[in-house]
Amino acid sequence: MAYEHKIEVEDLRTWFGDRQILKGISCYFEDNSVTAVMGPSGCGKSTFLRTINRLNDMVPGFRATGSVRFEGNDVLAPDADVYELRRRIGMVFQRPNPFPMSIRDNITYGPKLHGVRDEGELERIVEDSLRKAALWDEVKDTLDSPAPHLSGGQQQRLCIARALSVDPPVLLMDEPVSALDPISASKIEDLIVQLKKDYTIILVTHNVQQAFRVSDQAAFLYMGELVEFDKTRRIAEAPEDPRTEAFITGRIG
Amino acid sequence: MMVRADKTTVDTNTGAEDVGLQYRTNGLLSQLALEVRLAVSTRSKRRAGDLLFKALTATLALVAVLPFFLLLAEVVAVGSAELVGSGIAFLLTNPGPGLHGGIANAIMGTLLLVAVAGGVGIPISIFAAVYITEYTRPGLLRSAVEFAADVLAGIPSIVFGAFGFTFLVGFLGLGMGLVAGGLTLAFMIVPTVLRTTQEALKQVPVSLREASLALGATRWRTTWSVTIRAALPGIVTGVLLAIGRVMGETAPLIFTAGNNLQAPTSVLGPGSWVASMPYTIWAYISDPREYLQVKAHATAVVLIAMVLAVDIAANVLSRRLTRRLV
Ligand SMILES: Nc1ncnc2c1ncn2[C@@H]1O[C@H](COP(=O)(O)OP(=O)(O)O)[C@@H](O)[C@H]1O
Ligand SMILES: [Mg+2]
Repeated sequence: MAYEHKIEVEDLRTWFGDRQILKGISCYFEDNSVTAVMGPSGCGKSTFLRTINRLNDMVPGFRATGSVRFEGNDVLAPDADVYELRRRIGMVFQRPNPFPMSIRDNITYGPKLHGVRDEGELERIVEDSLRKAALWDEVKDTLDSPAPHLSGGQQQRLCIARALSVDPPVLLMDEPVSALDPISASKIEDLIVQLKKDYTIILVTHNVQQAFRVSDQAAFLYMGELVEFDKTRRIAEAPEDPRTEAFITGRIG
Repeated sequence: MMVRADKTTVDTNTGAEDVGLQYRTNGLLSQLALEVRLAVSTRSKRRAGDLLFKALTATLALVAVLPFFLLLAEVVAVGSAELVGSGIAFLLTNPGPGLHGGIANAIMGTLLLVAVAGGVGIPISIFAAVYITEYTRPGLLRSAVEFAADVLAGIPSIVFGAFGFTFLVGFLGLGMGLVAGGLTLAFMIVPTVLRTTQEALKQVPVSLREASLALGATRWRTTWSVTIRAALPGIVTGVLLAIGRVMGETAPLIFTAGNNLQAPTSVLGPGSWVASMPYTIWAYISDPREYLQVKAHATAVVLIAMVLAVDIAANVLSRRLTRRLV
């Protein structure tokens, strides 16, 4: 199917039970760039991300209308293959959540799930993913030790490596550094900038400075509405909507 | 006066003598004597109160643990004669004529019964717990199962014995023996293992499950490879504690397992009648013959050692798993 942008969202509305969370969002995400989705806590950022990879399906009473197209195919269609979808759209969560297994097993979990059996191939994926996540040098000698023994920052990079292990073109990141110390956080920010060369990254954050530092496009979400969506630089220099300006200057959020 | 007396008692925290001195220099000799006496007596009264309370709690603590040690001492004192006398043969030989000989039948019986109970009870309870915790929403079904399990866990074991007799031995026509006895013990395992497994699963953070789903795993695969794995230390502890508990149960077996002076020779039918350690203890101790009293105690020592071993295994295993996984 022909498509212009890897992910295109049109008039997306979502509900938890009777409560509407997203109120008609239309935007798109460009290849090889970082799009920041920013906004105050509770405005619906996580809901938005979790609608894209259908993780909200797990929530009783969740409902979505409108469309999210990934490479031209409607993600929300009932017959969409969610397993393949989630393989191709990786996710990194707010709190590092390594599996209770070795570093190596954390990385091979995804590939094995999708049918990779060859030991050499798995070996290669482990090194490759850890290198991309800038963790290889720190853990290459301790691949078989338990992942939960790593520091918080290392755990989060492991989670990034784990997401990359199944080779997804898109990476959803839900406030990936908000639970980390400043040094680990800035390492991961650098990493995100590195990764955008090869991936389409959607970075949710409520930290304006972070959004400005790492993103190319930015979307400002406020109470479930997409208030502003443009090049980050333009929004940083001259926000159009007073609500965006209020958020950027720290008056709301 | 009262106020002053109070004040003095506060001061006496640093020592009654000092207070005494202070008052003497004030020249209030007669009052001094009274004050000091008051102070000292209040102080010693409080100290005595403290001491008394300490002594009381210590005594109660002793009373609480003493039976265990007395029991252990008595069992070992009486039983050791047999254990020392027969040595390892006590564990390895079946009872001979007049019930002389060892308790191999009982040890083997208990191991078999626990194997049947565990083999049936553990998977059932774990799968039930997984289903309820992972695949149903909080609500009536879940509450009902939890309530039922809690009630079952508190039911006296003789009731399980009676149920096993009526339902398994009678109604299902299994007859007494290994299967009926083992299944009765399985009924006792289920509520405990189900609840401990459930608690262990609830401790696993939702975000771990989501990480797996977000990689494209099915729910089933997520449950199996991530959730159960993360809950494993808790599950293992629950399983071993439940097994340690049923190993020592007599009441459920009296009407269901029968007895046997050797290992069972068949799965069903009279050949499947099976001895067990608690049953053997009960049978021997109610026998007037002196040497069977001794054997009962020796059997109790072995049973206590086995239960203890299971408890220790539970501890070690769960700690090791925790270290490896979390
Ligand atoms: N699983 C859920 N069930 C019901 N309401 C939810 C659920 N998750 C989030 N919400 C509600 O949706 C709103 C948006 O939440 P969220 O998307 O997490 O916000 P953000 O990530 O921007 O902080 C919040 O008011 C929250 O209470
Ligand atoms: Mg959020």
